[in-house]
Amino acid sequence: MTAVLSLRDYTLDYLTGSRPLRVLQDISLDIAPGEVLGLVGESGSGKSTLAWAIMRHLPKNARELSGSIRLGDTDLRGLPPRELTRIRGRRIGMVFQDPSTALNPTLTVGRQVTETLVNNRGLTRRAAWDLALELLGHVELRDPDALMRRYPHEISGGEKQRILIATAFGCRPELIVFDEPTTALDVITGARILDLFARLRAETGVAALYISHDLALVSRVADRVAVMKKGRLVEEAPAASIFARPAHEETRKLVAAVPRPENRLVHDRPGDRVLLAAEAVSVRYARPRLFRPPPPPATHAVGFDIRAGEILGIVGESGSGKSSIARALTGLADFSGGIRFDGRPIGSARDMDGAYRRAVQIVFQHPDGSLNPRQTVGEILSRPLKLFGTGPANLSGEIGRLLEQVRLPAAYATRWPHQLSGGEKQRVAIARAFAAKPSLVICDEITAPLDVSVQASIIELLLALRAETGAAYLFITHDINLIRQIAHRIAVMRRGELVDLLPIDAVDADHVHPYTRDLMAASPTPVG
Amino acid sequence: MSASWLLRRLALILYTVFIVSVLVFGITQALPADAAVTLLGENATTEALNAIRERLGLGDPIWWQYLRWVGHAATGDFGLSMRTGQPVGPEMLTALGRSLLLAVAAILVMLVIAVPLGMVAAVRQGKLADMATGLISYLGVSFPEFVTATLLAMLLADTLQWLPATGYVSPLEDFGGAVRHLALPVLTASLILVAHVARMVRSETLDVLHSDYIRAARLKGLPERTVLVRHALRNALLPVVTIVALDVGYLLGGIIVIEEIFAIPGIGRQLMVAVTARDLPSIQAGALIMSATYAVANTLADVAYAVLDKRIRYD
Repeated sequence: MTAVLSLRDYTLDYLTGSRPLRVLQDISLDIAPGEVLGLVGESGSGKSTLAWAIMRHLPKNARELSGSIRLGDTDLRGLPPRELTRIRGRRIGMVFQDPSTALNPTLTVGRQVTETLVNNRGLTRRAAWDLALELLGHVELRDPDALMRRYPHEISGGEKQRILIATAFGCRPELIVFDEPTTALDVITGARILDLFARLRAETGVAALYISHDLALVSRVADRVAVMKKGRLVEEAPAASIFARPAHEETRKLVAAVPRPENRLVHDRPGDRVLLAAEAVSVRYARPRLFRPPPPPATHAVGFDIRAGEILGIVGESGSGKSSIARALTGLADFSGGIRFDGRPIGSARDMDGAYRRAVQIVFQHPDGSLNPRQTVGEILSRPLKLFGTGPANLSGEIGRLLEQVRLPAAYATRWPHQLSGGEKQRVAIARAFAAKPSLVICDEITAPLDVSVQASIIELLLALRAETGAAYLFITHDINLIRQIAHRIAVMRRGELVDLLPIDAVDADHVHPYTRDLMAASPTPVG
Repeated sequence: MSASWLLRRLALILYTVFIVSVLVFGITQALPADAAVTLLGENATTEALNAIRERLGLGDPIWWQYLRWVGHAATGDFGLSMRTGQPVGPEMLTALGRSLLLAVAAILVMLVIAVPLGMVAAVRQGKLADMATGLISYLGVSFPEFVTATLLAMLLADTLQWLPATGYVSPLEDFGGAVRHLALPVLTASLILVAHVARMVRSETLDVLHSDYIRAARLKGLPERTVLVRHALRNALLPVVTIVALDVGYLLGGIIVIEEIFAIPGIGRQLMVAVTARDLPSIQAGALIMSATYAVANTLADVAYAVLDKRIRYD
């Protein structure tokens, strides 16, 4: 049987500045009809570039040096633009990472689905509308007719991704390229999308290239898994065996970096002293208006406590109010209810004095947004140091000490944020938080934008810092496997309310909230 | 967009007009000109001056004079022109109609030229067509309207004799004549605006063309023309609506020069004449009407914005 997609010795350079950068080197792979090939690798390994090369949508500075890309009998590299337009959508579909940006904000969802069907299936608008209704119904979307009349911002991310997947399958292509289709979604929504993918694939027999940095996730949906490193395919193996017997060092690294809940990284128990207690904390963003009912609060009467040195995980789907709690505790959002810190009552953001602000620090999800691009690393770190009493004489020494504490060379003090990698930037953000010698550090999805291997090293760093300083962590995340490795207790949030607050060994118990059970079941467990 | 939003915007317009009315009234009061002297001339007798002061109520307290003026103005009665003795309101409104005709025509012509120009420049970024539109745009902004007007008049009216150089004909009386008479002023006004709107459309289109949903539209197999017209154009035009609303303000002010050159009796020209003649009622009426027009134009732009972009909700 001939392959649906076949690459032979494909090599690609990007022209950057003075000399070309090799992005893909001698890539050869085949996808058989009906097969799902998973493609994994760290960011920068070239997996997305490979997808763009297959879709024939390369940036202007790309230079293809050699090799062939064939779709069935068609040589894609040799096709003129007009012919390519006829292949895209009809013979190769694509589903993107972020469904929110893949839809045009000013056209209704129905218009965008039907235009694709009209264009690729040669249907009339009416027939396309009817088919769209059927397709959306088939992917378990309620009231497709109403959904299709809405604009993208009026429906959820999960619904958008369902619609995009339904449309891609509805065009009946030979191959669909999936570029991290669940990364932008929360765990439960992502798990449902994954189930949907598996079902549609089984029904249609369409071949797929499934790109992800998450090895656990890929091994669940793919027949075979290919591992990329620095532009090369280093290993290709059946999905069933790649976890059990990783042959290449890169694969072993990826396997080792996958967080496994049974592999606990924290073995101590926190003390009994309550460091911070939140009592019925509600956060409400919009102010109530005349003639208009107030909007529902982002969090509703949430209460919990954190003990000195404890790691408390907060999990829940997007929009559940996790980050609002972080904003309330740091005084970034107005709240009602009360906080007790070290026995001291704090009724509002105004009560948060220097001592509180020093003791409670936060690290944000995106270091790009939280590090000032016009300040060097040294300047960024000097601010909290000066604020909390380091004299000018000791300043550079303290900066160097902080950098070494987060395992960065002291010479990094003169660097700018844009000269650092994502993981290094997050280390600087962590160093800034620890400059104040805090007793509680709030980590708001701090590893979400990072690769699994970088994530593992950041977690290792956080645990080492905790051992040195005794700081407690409030660790907000949607990665259940990760939090089960490190947290002492887990708080589960849903729609602004705290539904469960469990010791870590009780999360699989029978008495947990049904939502907690769903959440635990939805996180991909490593197979093999 | 909710009814309460519209009501609040209407209130805002009224508030704007109120502030302007106080300013306009205050400034005309502060002028060294004495209305009675202006009316009767330097040689009038004291009795005659006092009589007319009595008749115009000039001896009343300022706030009472203001209320009386505003009260009448609200009914469209701005008093009689000191220059012609005719009612000021109807005269100014007729003039405003002519100016609006010129402004709307100029904006339409400008959009017809600038939008395709900007789109082409964006699609052919860095190529000859891009640089040519860039050059034309910069030339357009570099020339003040009186230079453009004079050059166009020399070429089209004088040398080629295609169009009349000056004058105004009502489109209700003679449509063809009106078009011919408006052609030069409309062209002049629109050429100035084409420059920056085309640049704006170009940069917005470039932004949109780099967005994920355009990439998605291309990769789902839509022909390039559909991608550009259906997916890119609408999003690229959104910010242009705001710019056009600001241009209405420019046109109302800048149009004075154009009206003067082409002898069109629009509101700008009437205001100039009124200022020269110290015709206080006309100055007051003209300024108030212009500011009200500007406030309304901006509200209309916000409404258009909400109609084009469904993410924007006014409530």
